[in-house]
Amino acid sequence: MIEKSFVESFSKHPLGMIGLVGIVIIVTLGLFGPMVVTYPVGYNEAIPLASPTLKNWLGTDGLGLSLIDEIVWGARTSLFISLTAVAVATCIGVPLGLVSGYFRGRIGALIDSVIEIAMTIPTLPLMILISAISGPSVGTVAVVIGIFSWPTLARIVRNSTLKLASLPYIEAAVVLGIPKRTIMFKHILLNAVGPALVDLTIIMATAVLTEAGLSYLGLGDPNAWSWGGILQTAFRAGHHFHAWWLIVFPSLAIMFFVVSFNLLGLGINETLNPKRD
Amino acid sequence: MFHYIVMRVMKGGLTFLAAVTVTFLIVRLMPGDPTTAFISDSMTPQDVLALNTLLGLDKSLIEQYVLFLRNLAHFELGQSFFYKEAVSAIIAPRLGWTLLLIGTSLFITLIIGIPLGVYTARHKGKWVDQAVSTMIVLGISVFIPLLAFVLVYVFSLQFGLTPVGGAFTPGIDDAERIRDVIRHMILPTATLVVVNLAQIVLYTRSSMLDVLKEDYVRTARAKGVSDRSVTWGHALRNAMIPTVTVTGLMLGKMVAGAVLTETVFSWPGVGSMIYEAVQKQDFPLLQGAFIVLAFSVILMTLMTDLVVAWLDPRIKLHGGSMR
Repeated sequence: MIEKSFVESFSKHPLGMIGLVGIVIIVTLGLFGPMVVTYPVGYNEAIPLASPTLKNWLGTDGLGLSLIDEIVWGARTSLFISLTAVAVATCIGVPLGLVSGYFRGRIGALIDSVIEIAMTIPTLPLMILISAISGPSVGTVAVVIGIFSWPTLARIVRNSTLKLASLPYIEAAVVLGIPKRTIMFKHILLNAVGPALVDLTIIMATAVLTEAGLSYLGLGDPNAWSWGGILQTAFRAGHHFHAWWLIVFPSLAIMFFVVSFNLLGLGINETLNPKRD
Repeated sequence: MFHYIVMRVMKGGLTFLAAVTVTFLIVRLMPGDPTTAFISDSMTPQDVLALNTLLGLDKSLIEQYVLFLRNLAHFELGQSFFYKEAVSAIIAPRLGWTLLLIGTSLFITLIIGIPLGVYTARHKGKWVDQAVSTMIVLGISVFIPLLAFVLVYVFSLQFGLTPVGGAFTPGIDDAERIRDVIRHMILPTATLVVVNLAQIVLYTRSSMLDVLKEDYVRTARAKGVSDRSVTWGHALRNAMIPTVTVTGLMLGKMVAGAVLTETVFSWPGVGSMIYEAVQKQDFPLLQGAFIVLAFSVILMTLMTDLVVAWLDPRIKLHGGSMR
């Protein structure tokens, strides 16, 4: 009942639908693109820095490799990183948020201060330190981004839990003798999914921005194509003033990904909390 | 109030302790020998021995931790691999440039963002709502190096209005110097303002909408206080509370933005130093940069919280027990 009306009202939210279409395009590109497009490797001396043509839509990079191939493989990297980050953030943030919201006493206060501390510390310099020491790898970057994305999620789950735990249906569940774990992870969590989902879309978007930023600073994986990595290579080689396509297309890919997920979040949020005038 | 300040300062101290403890554990417990992170090939055996004693790598983890904290209390952040100088001496002059950039952009963001938020709250309508939502989505989606590059391309390369990078022209001093630095600041500041503006507008707008519904606003209106005075006098002061709180929470993100912005514009702050340290694999410098930035952010968050306490009489009177 709830699901049907949600889908119905979400489909009437134009910005949310634009985001959803964008995500379908990205997922299609990242899942099936690499089956069509060969992995760009080595170099092609014949056509370095060729500008976009009808035959080669997005031009070539300094090694003569086709930019469109690199961007398609980059979509897969972005999806992998953002999904891993979301998984890690969910595994840490959701249980902590539930526990701190449900057990309001000392445990709740303790977890809440941990959340606050984690939200205050500037995370990018810390991620840079960790990535620099552990060496560049897509997996490490993904996990590190996830580890630093949980505090907002935990806070959102905590706030929903605080609100839900005082509702009569939870009291009824307690009286019925349902174990606390079942109450938390079933009865409360299912109803806290909405706001958490909005934050997950934001984490997806932020993860890609962070990965691009880390790659731009030279901490990307040299063995994987990523949009930030393409930019870093172009800037480092000084191609950015005469080969505009090497800057514009990877940047557009990043923006497309980020805007799509943020629009989806906006759509979900406004569908769940319709504005009353 | 005094009780609140003491509690808040203690919380700040605890946050800083947590930050440095995390750094300590990362460097020591990451896979591999911590010496690989702190000893470069170019060091002589004497250097290595001196460093081992300084870090206490021959002692237990707890003894190392105590030593680490003691060094920190003396602003001893270790030795840079590349510059062969104390990390604190390298960071100190750069910190000023970073704080100047962050402080200025924060100021301008608030000066533009708060009135804009109030304006959109008062003219709440269909298209304004959509415009604000869209602007916020675009604002949080900006990839800083791209925005910075576009700004440089248009304003520096096409029109020649602003310098391409750096913070000052060598050789210019005294009265001209201030104007020169301001010219260099325009583009990096604009970048950070664009990135952060949306959040401030969003929070001012939504808290303004809440406050304008309150009884005391209606009472003021009923007493015949002018619309302008109600909005800017009565309502804004209370609407500011969530905005200032969110400003404190934004500082960590602003530092991240500053690292990227400084790198693109070669701004001589801690951020561009981090970029150089990454290229040179200078781990002690990276660790020092994080500790110093964390300290600055925690201090600034503390200050915004005190501003909130000053704005919010409930905290002033009840010692912060309201929350």
